[in-house]
Amino acid sequence: MKFLATRVLSILAAIGFSFLVQKLAEGQDSFTQQLLVLASLYVTLSVSLNLINGITGQFSIGHAAFYQVGAYAAAYCGTAFYPNWHGSPVVWLLLMLVVGGIVAAIAGFIVGLPSLRLKGDYLAVVTMGFGEIVRIVVQNQKVLGESGGLSVHPHLQQIWVVVLLAILCIALCRNLQITAHGLPFLAVREDEVASAAMGVNVTKTKVIAFVLGSGFAGAAGAAYALQLGAINPDLFRMDQSFIILTMVVLGGTGSVTGSVLAALLLFYIPEKMRDLSDVRLSVLVSILISVGFAVAAVRYVINNVHKPIKVRAAYYAGITAVTAVVITILGKILQLVPAFQTSVEGGKLRLVVFAGVLIVLMLIRPEGIFAHHEFSWDWLLSPLKKKRTKLPGVSA
Amino acid sequence: MNLLKLDKATIKFGGLIAVNEVSFEINKGDLFGLIGPNGAGKTTCFNLITGVYKPTSGQISFDGRDITGTPANKIANLGIARTFQNIRLFKSMSVLENVVTAGYLRHKTSMASAFFYLPSAIKENEQLKEEAMKLLEVVDLAHVADVRSCDLAYGMQRRLEIARAMATQPQLLLLDEPAAGMNPQEKEELNAMVKKIRDHHNMTVLLIEHDMRFVMSLCEKIFVLDHGEEICFGPPEKVRNDPKVIAAYLGEAV
Repeated sequence: MKFLATRVLSILAAIGFSFLVQKLAEGQDSFTQQLLVLASLYVTLSVSLNLINGITGQFSIGHAAFYQVGAYAAAYCGTAFYPNWHGSPVVWLLLMLVVGGIVAAIAGFIVGLPSLRLKGDYLAVVTMGFGEIVRIVVQNQKVLGESGGLSVHPHLQQIWVVVLLAILCIALCRNLQITAHGLPFLAVREDEVASAAMGVNVTKTKVIAFVLGSGFAGAAGAAYALQLGAINPDLFRMDQSFIILTMVVLGGTGSVTGSVLAALLLFYIPEKMRDLSDVRLSVLVSILISVGFAVAAVRYVINNVHKPIKVRAAYYAGITAVTAVVITILGKILQLVPAFQTSVEGGKLRLVVFAGVLIVLMLIRPEGIFAHHEFSWDWLLSPLKKKRTKLPGVSA
Repeated sequence: MNLLKLDKATIKFGGLIAVNEVSFEINKGDLFGLIGPNGAGKTTCFNLITGVYKPTSGQISFDGRDITGTPANKIANLGIARTFQNIRLFKSMSVLENVVTAGYLRHKTSMASAFFYLPSAIKENEQLKEEAMKLLEVVDLAHVADVRSCDLAYGMQRRLEIARAMATQPQLLLLDEPAAGMNPQEKEELNAMVKKIRDHHNMTVLLIEHDMRFVMSLCEKIFVLDHGEEICFGPPEKVRNDPKVIAAYLGEAV
């Protein structure tokens, strides 16, 4: 009874949240709405790729292909069957999510079954090849609109659907992680020989992860197609796969919360940079130098967790102070040099900043923001705590 | 009746015959030792039994069933579990998770029930954890249940490997050099632990070991391999005095 009550409540909460987002978004302009849709889709994509890459440890870089398969499945069905559809368009939308998911899952099964016997780099090459094959095949099929793409019927802007899809994807991965059923996936990542010796069916586990991951990517693709109204092969180029992969690695392979956070970060930072005003070269250079200081200081704190709390707190304060001082003073000094007086267009800096964020994060935390862990408040505050929890018994 | 039977098991890697027509039988409740100099083919024997390798010829049967060439995970399900010579724990997982993973092969609820976090899956999860905790108490690791397994001291990692293998509830437990790298006191404790496992958990134990004193004091039957072939088989007293065994270990007199 208690279970039923909490379950119904949490489902209602998820649906309520989705509609709240929808309501809030309705007051905004269409660009903001579009951003919100894309952010939710990227969350779905990175969490589903995390199931394959992070949790199960199978290095796949063809995720955009499954995204594309789902999108095209929905677009094709829309052209072929929607004119004869008499139900409500929202039901059609939900149906298309399922169809896109299933078609992509089947594609995942067909690719996964033979190729998951490969490991590491080899699997990466196969999945990358698959991604390109899908895109090029689509580009040359008349039925699929060639490079011109397809227009999708119906064109439905329903933000709550994509938000709900993201929540569903996160919830399923989380549930898998906190029950014993998720352990074989982790075990396969850690050691295939040992997990087979413990009775784990390695191939089956990998295929399940691959099918589920690609299924969710397919559902996201279907949602994307219906939200956008028109799709073309250029939307699913290989760089999409790489961005999704970067989100997973940056968030910390295997961490669901990490994938969510990294997806939002990597999506919003470049988008927000679009309307950045012009930056003086002098300021830009001083920012770059102070970032260098900050990275060095943060690394010092990370490498010296055993130092007294006062020292570490002083360093945290030091980072902020040095950064601020360097930006102001160096900015002023550099401004006297004629060569540094020119300005750079802010919008053009977005990819530079994107790359910079990646470099800085990889320097400070090569294992990803959350590493293998999940988000918790304890973890966030741990560098400032008096003592790290010591391993009991190990010192003996 | 014998539990495990190797009948002329042979494996060749190209021109190298790693294990050559090895035959032995292990009865229920045995403490069986497999010894031999480095490179004799002991671990390869383990890999044949546990399905990591498929024998080139010969037959392996377990509990009256032919298991030659059966995949490793099915063999684990049939009731053979092993530890590894060069520790192969699931490093980034906690001590408890390592053991629960091995116990997972007895799961009954479906994967779908886990995805939707149904009460059946939650209950089973709790049950597996409880069983795992009991095993951790057997190997004296319950106090580090939440520590990442790669952060454990070496001797503890070895004990965790044993607990993980036991979690599959095997009939036959294969230990590959369980005492390697342990100090005399730890070896003593391990000796008592293996005996306890055999007596209280009804497991048959087959172990590979280099430490002669450890093997002689623990095992009731010893099988000696050299260059992939049998050179001696019998109780410790017989093996200890066998000239071929002495020659294999110490080199022949010139």
